[in-house]
Parts: sequence; C-alpha cells; structure tokens
Amino acid sequence: MEKLPRPKKMDSSMWVDEAIWGHRLYDEQTPWLCIMEFLNVLQSENQNGRAFKEGNFNTLRYTTYPRMYLRNILFNNPQMELIEKNFRNDNHSQWNKWIDEMNKNSGGMNVVDYSYLKKRFTSFQDFVEIINFLRSSTIEGENNKRWSSQFIFPYGPDCLYEDLRVTGTSISNDRRFFARTGEILYLMLSRSHKKDEILGYLSNKILDGKSSFNRLVALLQPDDEQFDGEKREGGYLPYSNLPEYDLLSDDWINLFNCNMPKYDVFPHLVNITGLHMIIYSLNRSKEVLNNLNNTTFILEIIAPQKTIIRDLASDSYSHNNNLSKQAIEEYILGIKNTEEWDKVITSGDPYEAARDLIVRRFSWRDDDKAKATSAEGLLDEFFKKASVRHKQHVQNFHRVWGREIGLVSKRSSRRLRYAPTDSLLKALVLSNVESKMEFQEFLDRLYTKYGFIIGDRQAEALLETGQADMEAFSENAVRLEERLSSMGLLKRLSDACAYVENPFVKVGIR
Amino acid sequence: MYDESIQRTIDKKGIAPIKVEPQYLSELIANFKTSYPSSVILTGTAGDGKTYYCREVWLALGGDKEEWDNGETIKILQLKEHSLYVIKDLSELSEDNRYIINEMAESIKQDNGKVFLVAANDGQLLEKWKNIECNYIVSEVADCIEDLLVSEQQQKEGYNLQLINLSRTNSAKVFPKIVKSVVSHPGWDECHNCSLKENESVEKRCPIWENKKRLEGSGNEKVLLDRLVDLLELCELNEVHIPIRQLLLLISNMILGHPDARDKLMSCGQVPKISENRSVSSASIYRNIFGENLSERRRETTDIFSTLNRFGIGTESNNFIDNILIFGEDDPELTDLFKKYMTSDEFYGADETFKAEQKSYLEGEVSKEESDRFLNRLRSQRQRLFFTVNAIDIEEIQIWDLTSFKYAGEFLEKVHRQLENGKRVQPKILTRLVKGINRISTGLLTKDSDVIYLSTSGSHSQSKISRVFESEISVRPNRGESVDINLENGKPVLIVKISLSDEIDHVSLKLHLVRYEFISRVAEGELPGSFSRECYEDLLAFKSRLLNQLEYRKKIEGVYETDPDRMVLELLRINNEGMLYRRTVEVEFE
Repeated sequence: MEKLPRPKKMDSSMWVDEAIWGHRLYDEQTPWLCIMEFLNVLQSENQNGRAFKEGNFNTLRYTTYPRMYLRNILFNNPQMELIEKNFRNDNHSQWNKWIDEMNKNSGGMNVVDYSYLKKRFTSFQDFVEIINFLRSSTIEGENNKRWSSQFIFPYGPDCLYEDLRVTGTSISNDRRFFARTGEILYLMLSRSHKKDEILGYLSNKILDGKSSFNRLVALLQPDDEQFDGEKREGGYLPYSNLPEYDLLSDDWINLFNCNMPKYDVFPHLVNITGLHMIIYSLNRSKEVLNNLNNTTFILEIIAPQKTIIRDLASDSYSHNNNLSKQAIEEYILGIKNTEEWDKVITSGDPYEAARDLIVRRFSWRDDDKAKATSAEGLLDEFFKKASVRHKQHVQNFHRVWGREIGLVSKRSSRRLRYAPTDSLLKALVLSNVESKMEFQEFLDRLYTKYGFIIGDRQAEALLETGQADMEAFSENAVRLEERLSSMGLLKRLSDACAYVENPFVKVGIR
Repeated sequence: MYDESIQRTIDKKGIAPIKVEPQYLSELIANFKTSYPSSVILTGTAGDGKTYYCREVWLALGGDKEEWDNGETIKILQLKEHSLYVIKDLSELSEDNRYIINEMAESIKQDNGKVFLVAANDGQLLEKWKNIECNYIVSEVADCIEDLLVSEQQQKEGYNLQLINLSRTNSAKVFPKIVKSVVSHPGWDECHNCSLKENESVEKRCPIWENKKRLEGSGNEKVLLDRLVDLLELCELNEVHIPIRQLLLLISNMILGHPDARDKLMSCGQVPKISENRSVSSASIYRNIFGENLSERRRETTDIFSTLNRFGIGTESNNFIDNILIFGEDDPELTDLFKKYMTSDEFYGADETFKAEQKSYLEGEVSKEESDRFLNRLRSQRQRLFFTVNAIDIEEIQIWDLTSFKYAGEFLEKVHRQLENGKRVQPKILTRLVKGINRISTGLLTKDSDVIYLSTSGSHSQSKISRVFESEISVRPNRGESVDINLENGKPVLIVKISLSDEIDHVSLKLHLVRYEFISRVAEGELPGSFSRECYEDLLAFKSRLLNQLEYRKKIEGVYETDPDRMVLELLRINNEGMLYRRTVEVEFE
C-alpha cells in the first residue's frame, strides 16, 4: 500500500518513526489523555462543520482552548477551603477574600477578574461543594502531573481544553501530554467506515453541550473569556486506509450499543482504544519486517502458581516488545540491500552519495554534523541516532500502554507478560458479545480479532511446533471461564458448555 | 465409555452393582410407552449417568442386551406406533450418519413416525446441531435447544421435545442415597470373620472398616454425612454441579484412601502392613475427603477434590479452635472440649504421637522440619473437627470459621433452608446485605440499611467512590418498592422491586455462596485482602442494572427531571453515626 506523503510543514530532525507509525505514538500520553486530545480535535472540527471530514490527507488544522479561568479554579486553587473555614458563616467575606486571592495568584493569564462567580452561586459554600465534586471526577484521579495537565471529565465542549505549560502569566503548548496520539486517533477514526455513527453518538452524549454537568462547568467560566483560538497543525498518519481503523470503529460502536448508564462507556472506550493502538503499532513494525504472520498475544489468565503459560506469555510479550526496534533497524540498514545503495558504493564519491541518499530517504537534517568518514559509517551513525530517538518514546509505547490498559502485568513475577485485568476483560466482553455467546466462540473471536491466544484451540499453531501442551492452555481457558463467571459475565451450563453474557443487554436473574 | 467398562467389570467379578433409583427414569420410560411420545435429549456433565439412562430405557422397553453392546451408534427399537432411535452419545455420530439430525428435527416439528432418545453433553449437542448444513427446520430446532439450555427450561411450545439436563440433579440429595447403597452393600458381609475388624488393640484395627463405620454414623449421630451434604449443597448453590461419578469417586476415596497404599487406595491385604508401620492415622477419612492421600497434581485435576478444597478446610481457623487444638490439654477452660473431640478419638484424634509432637512444639525445641510436621497434623485435626463437632457445641465452636466462608453455615441454614421450609429470612440478615450493598454502591463506609442507595461519581456509576446521589429504593414495601430474599428455581435470590407496574420488571441478584460471603464481609468491615476483587465487579454490574431499570421507570412514568433552567446536585455525606445524608446544592442557569 502506498504511503501518504509527508506534510510539508511538519518539522522534524529525521523521518523514520514518523514514516512507519505516524506522527506520533507517544508513550507518556496515556490512553485517557489520548481520548481527551481526540475530543478536543473532534469538538473543534465539529464546530467548523468538518468533523471526521479530512479533505486532503494529513492536513488537519484545529483550534484549541486554554480555559484558564476554569483550570485555575479547579486545579490551582489551594486557598479555597482554608478561606471557607476561616470566614465561616460570612458569605460576603469568603467571596471577597477568595476573589482577591485568585485575582492575584492565577497562572497563565494577564488581566484577571473572578467576581463574575459571586452572583452565579447561592453561597460560597455551595461553590466549594461544586468545585470539590468536579475535582473528584478528574481524569486519572490522583496523578502527580502539573496542575496545567489536569483534566476534568469530558461532560461536554465546555470541559475541553488543551494541555499547557504555564510560566507566570504566560502559557505555551509544549506537547508534554497532548503529544498528538489523540490526533492520530482522530485521523484513524476519520478514515474508518463507522465514523458517521460515532459522530452521531458523541454529538448526543457530549458535543451538543446539553448535559447539565457541562452547563455547570460552563457556569464557572466568564462569558467574555477571550480565546486565542490558536490553530494547531495536526499529525500525520501514513496510510489512507487500513483494516485496523475499521476494527477500531466497530468496537466503538459495539460499546456504544451496550447503552450503559451515564458515561460508563468511557473507561471501556479508553481500554479498547489502547488495545487497537497497540495492535496498530505492532502491525506497522511487522510490515517493515515483511513478517506476514498475524500479530498474536499469548495471554496468561493469572494462575495462583507459576505455569508454563506464564513463561509463554512473557516470551510472547518480549517478542512483540522487540518488534519496533527491529523495524527501525530493518528500515534503515535494510537500505544496504537495495540497488540505490549499490550505486552509492560504486559512485565516485561514496560518502557524498550516501549522504544524499540518507537525506533524501529519511529527511535527516543534521547530516552536516556527522562524524563518520565513510558511506557505511555514515549510515551506521544515522542508524544509531535514529535508534536513540526511537528508544525515548516510540519503543516504550507497547509496554507503557500495555500496562495502562491492563494487558501487560508484572504480578507475581519479575518479567512482564500479557495477563489481562478484570477491567480489560470486561471491556472485551462488552465490545464483542452482543447478548450472549458460547464461550469457545468467544475465545475464537478474541483470537481472530485481536490475536489473543488463551485456550487450546487457539494455541494449536503453537502446539504443532511443540511449544506447549494442550492441557496447560485448556486450564488457562478454564481460569478465564471461572473469572468471567465470578465477574457476573458468564453463565455455565455444564462442564462442557458456558455462555458469555453481556450484562447490559438481558434483564433476568443473575 | 465408563458405563461400558463398568458393566464388563461387574460381569467379570460378579459383584452386585451399587444402585440408586434415578430421578427421571420412570418418567422417561412412561413417555415412550404412550402413543404420543416426545423425543428426549439428555444433557449433563460427564458422569451424570447419561449412558446409564439410555441403557435402562432401552432394556425397559424390551430392547435386547446384546444388541445394546454391539457398538452401533444408532439403535432402533419398534414401539407401539413409532420407531425409537437411541443415540447414547451424539459425539460418536459419524459424517455418514449426520442425516439423522435432519430426521430428528423433522420429528420434533411434526410427527414422522420416529421418536428419539439422544444423550450428549451440551457443548457437543450445540456443536452438532449448529455445524450441520442447515435446512430451515434444523436451525429452528437448534435455536429451540439453545433457548432451553440457557433458560434452564425443559419444554417449549410447538416442539415435541423434552430437554432433560441431568446436571440439575441435586448432588446433595443423591449423595446420602449412594452412601446408603455403599455401606449396606452385601460385599461387607465378608468382613464378619476378619480378625482386624474390631480388634481389641487399637493399633491393629482395620482403617477400612473404621472409615466405613464413621461414614455410616450411628443412630441419629450422622455428623460426618450431614456436614458433607452441607458442603455439597453449598456447591450446588454456588452453581458447581457434582456428577454422580464424582460422588462415587469421593466415597471410595473416603473409605479406602491412604498415601502409602498402592494406587493410594488400601486393599485388605495391605492393612496389616499399614498397622505395622503405625501409619493408620494417614488413612483418616477426614483427610481422604479432600484427597490428601493423593499427589497434589492428582488432587487438583480431580474435580471433586479441587471443588471441596476450595472451602479451604484445614488452612482456615480461628483463635478459639486453634487454642483447643494446641493448648487444650493444659488449659482448664478448654480441657473438656479437648477431651471430647481430641483424646476420645483413639484412632484419628490426639494419639501419643500427636501429644509428643505438640509438647515439643510448645516448648520450642523443634527444627523447622518438625514444626512443619506438627502444623500438618494440626491441619488434619482441623479437617477432622469440621466433620465431628456436633449440634450441641456448634454455637461455641464456630465450625464455619474453619472454611474460607464464615457465613456459609448461616447462608445454608438461615437463608436457603429457611426459605425451603417456607419461612422468611430474618430481618437482620437482610439488613446486613443491604448495608453491604450500600457500601459497595457508594464506596462510603455507611451503616444505612433502610434503603438501597444508588449514586454515581457524576461521570460514571462504576467509580470506587460515588457521591452524587441518584436514587434510593426502600427496603420495606413502599409504593411498589421493596427488597426481599426469595427462592427462584430453588435458589435464594435478592429481589429488588421498584414499581407496582407490571411493565417494570424487578431486578434480582442470585445469592450464591461467594456473593453472600462477599457482601456480608463488606458489611461487617472485615474483607480480607485475599478475597477476590472479581466479586466487586460483579456487584457493580448489579448496580448498573438497578440504575438502568430506574432510568426505565422514569421513562415509563413520564418523569423527566431535566429542568432546563436549574440543576440540583445532591451530594452524599456521612455523619458521625455512619449514616448517609444528602447535601443539596442548587444552581440556576440563567
């Protein structure tokens, strides 16, 4: 498949990771923050009537909001409770003291006046209650990120703002936690077949801004808050079309169809999205490596004692974890097997020819600072630089996101391995079982859709190569069955037959 | 396969088989004798007796014994007006014979002169029916079978079919019958003249006979059997079904188990050697119940033992019980109980070896190895205690503390059996459950038990702490709302009603052992870390269902609370008495 061209304006010291996975998969941006960034993009594009409409590929440009009043009130407001206590039963003083304090100490804004709040709430005490409540729905609860990287739950458009760095009264966008992975997600869904349905759902749930919680959050912000309305240039996603995009969008719709109460769908959405992103990243690596096997994951359903599955799950993890590194190597050093490289070697000035080729192929910007003196040496030097860069973030993506979504775990072992948590299992049931599904069929679905190897039937290919015994895998499946059963997601009929059930669909005895 | 080889052994050795009147047999035979018989599918777990049923029906209807043994998959017998097709194992059906499924489907939808008796475990059953090249009738009948299986029904209108799931046979009810059949088997008569049977010297007595005697009990004293029935009943309530084959396996291991014997099962010839080696205590029936005579691997892979071991009997305990076992001899307050339950049992109780090891253990003059050995003996004694403490002492010695489920006894006696006897569950139990559910639902350490609180975190309902009040449901009947425990399909269910209208279904939660224990422990604030988190997820799903149903009630009743100009936020707080109250905050949108 043809790769889309690199957008002209995109600045980068080289074009390697970006060319393979897009710009960019970033380990420090957690799946939750990826969804938050995604919603920011979607909201902005929706406002301009362009939601999920891409025009020319990779030309996303969207507006972001700082919402500094809201964020100071919620996350940079240490005096509030103290003031409430010190001036108890004196509503007037409470407000005045607090407004005074906030006007002096707010970050990221020049001219500040919080007095609009006073007439919007019955009492300062009520105001404090509301702030405390909203804080309690901070994304990823007790994290230790800076205050300007804290986010409240996305009840609606008035809750969306971008990650920022605040220095005194000025703000800057340092892409610390909104590092474009959300843009990638936006582009993926824009290129998927269910984008309209997704937009339909999110419009009703979030984008229309009608929810009372969104209006509450809007109430905390001044009417005349000036938004810079700064435009952000969007990321780069290399392929116009991939089955991965469609599978991702299918799962989103499946989850929406469960009709969970309130906003309960979100945690599941986060986990499932994370999983699809991991699969996407592994598949891109394999493409470079010309590895045509399906991506698989051997999952240990945690057993009380060490089992052979635990080792296999660790091996499977390490195998996958190394793929991106190998892909980089192949992508760069593989050039040696091309005719172009032969020409370089046989040319009059191999060094210059090599330099030309590397700059052309990989858009290397710092070629003039290279220390190498030979063509080969130059390529190696470049490879080392690219590897160092890769190691910083993209290489960690599989591990960090795997742990975030509960796919990768170290529990009772020193090695990392695939061992899903309850919440991931629940997300998998909800996005794959419409009402009920026979257990073996469920295992099979997980295998064909995500490459998850859990039971003996899925492990057949491994068994043929003598890697494991049937029994260990069928015990693994039994453990999953028991676990789903105690989570209320499975009904067992006899030793040979069990049904996985979606708890939101059927009403009856459980 | 089992049934066939057992039949061969019975013939070869000339032993009278162990017989228990099967629950459905007469009904089945009667069905096929009528002029309008319906086809029958027997499903169930391996070892439930599917093949046995087929054979008995075949013979009772005049089928030939030799023909039965001839290895054909499909056997045909002429009834009054129908031909009966018996397939004792559907998985044996070869590709060539697949047409029979079509015929069967036909016979179920309209009388075609054929009628079927088919046995299969339910997994294979569905596989066979679903993988066949479908015509319309087959897929219709396949859907019917699936429905019957999942909804636990036996019949469906419009289909001339009965689906009998043998896994619904209650093992707790069958077990005493099998025990009776075993202990009164004529084979025991041969023991009459054995010198080891009731030998004067305790050391020489035969452990096989001793175990049989204990299993049988004497007069009204059947503590061992009763308690085993309790455990089996709890398994059934926990939706773990134990087939007859496993029960037979359990009984034989209980009587014959010994770790040093060949195949881990004693035979008469080995008994003198066991006495000589002073290892009779290893033949203890109380250990054998848990398969302690077997290797760890064997134990874990044998269903009945892995199931029974999940009760943790032997490893769990409380201080009082361990004090009796360890200090009982010297402690004046405990000595009576120690004598009653430890020294009085010369055979498996506190024998001289036990006492000697106990003494060195207490004096601390032991190596790691020796102390492990004593702790292992303690484990065996706890197991024995569980099966011997009689009704008089049960209040004092809380035997259910010896299991991982300290509320199991209460659950069985005061909930399940209480309801079975047509009585109501005591209010204090319901109160505790509601309290536990409130704690899980709100994430707050509340003591409230008059209403079920439903709250969210504003964003999601599944968060650990949910302070935003959504609704409450009265426990005492009030305008259609109520919370109660009733039996449904013979099992206790917590029923939450939220409306008088028939249109709005109640929400129910099956109370099986694990859930009951989990909720009770949360209510009493003593949830050990080892207790599974999965239950928590399970109950959050229950909360979701309640929320959804309340949402539905709102819709039906036409209550749309969204006032476009105002928002009322009710935040839950907890006061010094541990009761929840609501702090209301109102906001006006201009």
